[in-house]
Order: sequence, then C-alpha cells, then structure tokens
Amino acid sequence: MREAFSNALVRLALADPKVLLLTGDHGYALFDEFRKRCPAQYINAGIAEQNMVGMAAGLARVGFRPFVYGLAAFIPVRTVEQIKLDIAHDDLPVVLLGDGAGFVYSHLGTSHQSTEDIACTRAIPGLEVLSPSDRFEMTASMDYAYATKGPVYLRMGKSDRGDVHSGPLQALRAGGLLQVCTGRSDRPGLIATGSMVRAAMDLAQALELSLWSAPVLKPLLAEEVCAAARATSGLVTLEEHSVLGGLGAAVSEITSEHEPVRVLRIGVPDRFSEHCGTHAYLLREHGLDSDSVRAKIEWFNRTTRTSVSA
Amino acid sequence: MNTLATPRAASEANRRFAPARMRRTVLEMAYAGSTVHIACAFSIIELVTVLYRDHLRYPGNDPRAEGRDFLVLSKGHGVMAQYACMRELGWLDDSHVQGYFKDGSELKGLSDSRVPGLEVTSGSLGHGFSVGVGIAMGLQRKGSEQKVYAIVGDGELNEGPIWEGALVAAHHQMDNLMLIVDKNGFQAMGTTDDVLALGDLSAKFSSFGFETLEVDGHDEAAVDAAIRRLWATGPGKPKALIARTVKGKGVPFMESDNRWHYTRLNPQTFAEAVDALGLPGAST
Repeated sequence: MREAFSNALVRLALADPKVLLLTGDHGYALFDEFRKRCPAQYINAGIAEQNMVGMAAGLARVGFRPFVYGLAAFIPVRTVEQIKLDIAHDDLPVVLLGDGAGFVYSHLGTSHQSTEDIACTRAIPGLEVLSPSDRFEMTASMDYAYATKGPVYLRMGKSDRGDVHSGPLQALRAGGLLQVCTGRSDRPGLIATGSMVRAAMDLAQALELSLWSAPVLKPLLAEEVCAAARATSGLVTLEEHSVLGGLGAAVSEITSEHEPVRVLRIGVPDRFSEHCGTHAYLLREHGLDSDSVRAKIEWFNRTTRTSVSA
Repeated sequence: MNTLATPRAASEANRRFAPARMRRTVLEMAYAGSTVHIACAFSIIELVTVLYRDHLRYPGNDPRAEGRDFLVLSKGHGVMAQYACMRELGWLDDSHVQGYFKDGSELKGLSDSRVPGLEVTSGSLGHGFSVGVGIAMGLQRKGSEQKVYAIVGDGELNEGPIWEGALVAAHHQMDNLMLIVDKNGFQAMGTTDDVLALGDLSAKFSSFGFETLEVDGHDEAAVDAAIRRLWATGPGKPKALIARTVKGKGVPFMESDNRWHYTRLNPQTFAEAVDALGLPGAST
C-alpha cells in the first residue's frame, strides 16, 4: 500500500512538473524513490507544519499542485486552521496526506496517534476526505485527489492488512461505496473504511454479511448509503477513528434523515489510549479486535431482530 | 453596489494616494459601518501608499493579473488601509465605502482573499506571512521577477508560524520576499513591551538571515528609499523592513491610544477626526 502510494506520487510528479511534495521532515525511506526521480519537486519544509500548510497555499496560488505530507496527528490535526483558512476557503488544489492515522504508532502514545482527523476535516467546507483500504484504493485515491483540483485530505492508516480488492479499480466516484461482499438481506450490512475493511471482510464472510468499503468519506452519497440500508437489516460502521465525527457519524447523518435504520458505530470510544503495545494490542484495548467486533455485530443482529419482531 | 472584480483603467488622477485622503476613506468606512480597527489601519497608511504608488505592479490595473506583485496583508486588521488604496486605484468606489458592513456587503472587517485586490484571508494572525512565503517560493521556482511584500504587525510576531516562515524564507534564499513589520508598539491588550516583549527586531531578523533596515514608517520618502535599498542588497537573502509607526497616526486624539483599536466613531468623533486630517472641504 505504501509502495502504491509512492508509485502514484512519482508517476503524478513525472507527468506534471507542477506537482510538488512538501514534507514536515517525515517520510524516511517512503520518499526514496521520489527524491531519486523528482529531486527538484521535493521540499522538506522542516518541522514546521503550520508554515508548511500556509506555504502550500501560496504555492497553489501561483499554479503549483502541492501534496503536503505529515503524520495525521499533524497534517491535518495540528494544522486544521491553516487548512480551513489558507487552503479550503480558497478552494485551492492542495492534497493533504495524513500518514499513520489511527493507532499505527501504537507504541509512541497519544501524540502520534490520530483518531480525530476525519472529524476535524469533514466539517471544513469544500474539503474532500479520502480513506483508502488497500493498495488498489490507494492508487485510485491518489488519482482522484490529483484530478479533483480542489482541497483533499487523504488519510493513510495501517497499511499492511493485505488486499481488499482483486485488482486495479475504476476511477473512484465522489461519494461512492465499493461493495466488497454480498451477504444476507436479513442481516446487518457493514460499511468500513481504511484499515478496518480487511478485518471486516473476514467477519462478513464468516457471518454472511454484505460489506461496502468507503474510500471517499466526504462527500458521501446519500443514495448509496440508503441503498445499503435497504439491502440489509441495519448498518454497522467500522473505522479506526473516533465514533464521533467519522464514518459512523456520516452514515448516521444520512440514514436518520433519509432512511431511518439502526446504525451501530464501531470505532474508537471517546477516550485516549491508556497503554502502549502492538497495534493489535491497542485494537483490543479499544474493542476493535475481531472478537470484540464480532460480538458487537452479533449483539446488534440479535437486538435488531428483536425490535423488528416486537 | 458595483461588482468588485471589474478593474478600471488607472489614470494619474486616481493614483494620487494622498495619505490624508486615504485616512479619510478609512474614517468614512469606519463611520458608515460602525467598525473598529481604525488605529490599526492608520499606522500603515504611508507604507501602503508608497507600496501601491511606487512599487506594486498590476499589469492592466487588474488586481488579479497573473504577472502582478503580491501584497500580503498578514495583519488583516489593517484592511481598511488597503481598501483606501483600492479606492484610489478605482477598484472600489463610493458605494463600497458607504455600504461598508451593510448586510450582504462583500468587504469584510478583516482581509479576505476572495476580494480581488486582497491576497490572503487573515486576521487570524500568523497565516498571511506563510502564504506569502509560499507565493515567493512559487515565483522563485518559476524564475519570475515578481515580488512579494508581506505586512506583519508587531503584535502578530507573537505567532509561531511567522518564525517558521522566516527560517524557511532564509533557507530557500527568497530574495523576492520583503517582510514589513508595522512596529506600532501596541497589540490588542496593551503595548508589545508589556504583553510580550519583542526585543531588538532588526537583530532578530538579521540573525535569521534577512537583510534588514529600520525606517520611520510615516516618512514616505524614507520608506520608498528603504525599500529600494533593500531590493538593491543583492541576491540570496529575504528582506525585512522594520517600520516604526504610530498606532492611530494622523488623528491626534487617536495616536498611541489603544482604545482606537476597539472604539467606534460617533458623529462628533467622526467630525473631529476628519477635521484633524486638514483636508480641504473637511467633515461637512
């Protein structure tokens, strides 16, 4: 997935000399290929993220296509105001790349973990939010971000989960869901994003559930979410992000207005990590490991049937 | 109200940029809109006068011309001074002055980049300078001769991104960028010395790698000469002009009285302020 990211970035930069990569002194090894093949388009802006985002706005104003890279804890979270005011307010074609989202830096603690970045970016007018789940969605997301010619936040989470799709994807559609598994209509449907899609696949197959991946979190097409709701007995959202303001919130906002169904939001509860450990450990701490998720889905399935029959 | 985006041909007549008349524009806007931030605009009147009259190039008198120089008003609170220049250039007219702050008005109380002629959305401080650094970097990469000026308040120097941007500007040898500090000695809640002492600004920016000059920010000839001297210092270094100014300059009862950061005009203070400018025709 990281190779797909690097390849896409190099390809876009070789094709368009206006593409620039700005990094806040992050991306060791990740940018080796870019630095080798597009050295003039590589700018290490120093450990100065606020200035870097403002500077990207200035570069975009005079015709460049900046891709601004940092850890999600910093790009976008530390720089939300610069993104809002300097970039989104003017609809500038800047792609913000937030790496290590969720609990990737599981041993480093809260400063490097990011479970509020989707919530922070979704509310910024005109800013699109992407969250690819595998290498194929990553490639499509990079192409989508470049083609958008407006402000985009691309969330890069845990990248070693394996493939979700069997091969390269068609161009992403704004707000479109990608169906990954087709299951029973009398059971809940899963909508997952980023690193949680691969884990959701195993559960969907075991429990005969439909599963959709949401690589584009904003915009999110109401008709596609409603169609998923109609095709199932209720919706379960899965994300390595807070249950507040992320995919679960976006789905709930749509269904409560257009297609009232029960929605179970599986994500990070409203709290910080208490301990450190492996990524798998932190998923368990927050109830996002596969046993916990399975138990929640089974409870949801039971209680949904009860409420329907009652 | 006229559409803002329509540039009109410049003539010598509307490029007069007399500071007293520009201060009167500020007073008229502030009175029409019952707005604050008068003193913040007054301290930079001569600076923007010299910049617009003698330095900034707008091909075709078009505020959005691709080949223009960029004036970034990082201290967005002084925006009425820039509106006054835009009126001199014919980019704004009397309807904008009289309609200031009326419901649906396009001109806001702080710099807004959607207004042709204003380059950044500022007022949240410490933003505009970084955008200016990015514009300068872009122009440098394009090999353009265009220049970037960024006016920053001395209070605004409290903001961290200014210093991040200063490091980057020096590191990348942005000799097409001039930072102009409006050193009026005040910020919202008091003097800069009382709130957060800035020390020797020339020494600070020099140590960051800027070519630095200090100047009386209300002496037009001196400001003009200092800008020329800075650009003549040769390649490789960004420029910093530390302009000593007086907050509220031009109206004696406003000068160095920080209440005029916040105070609105009433009929009496408006008349007195206009009289103090000594323009023929005065307040009535």
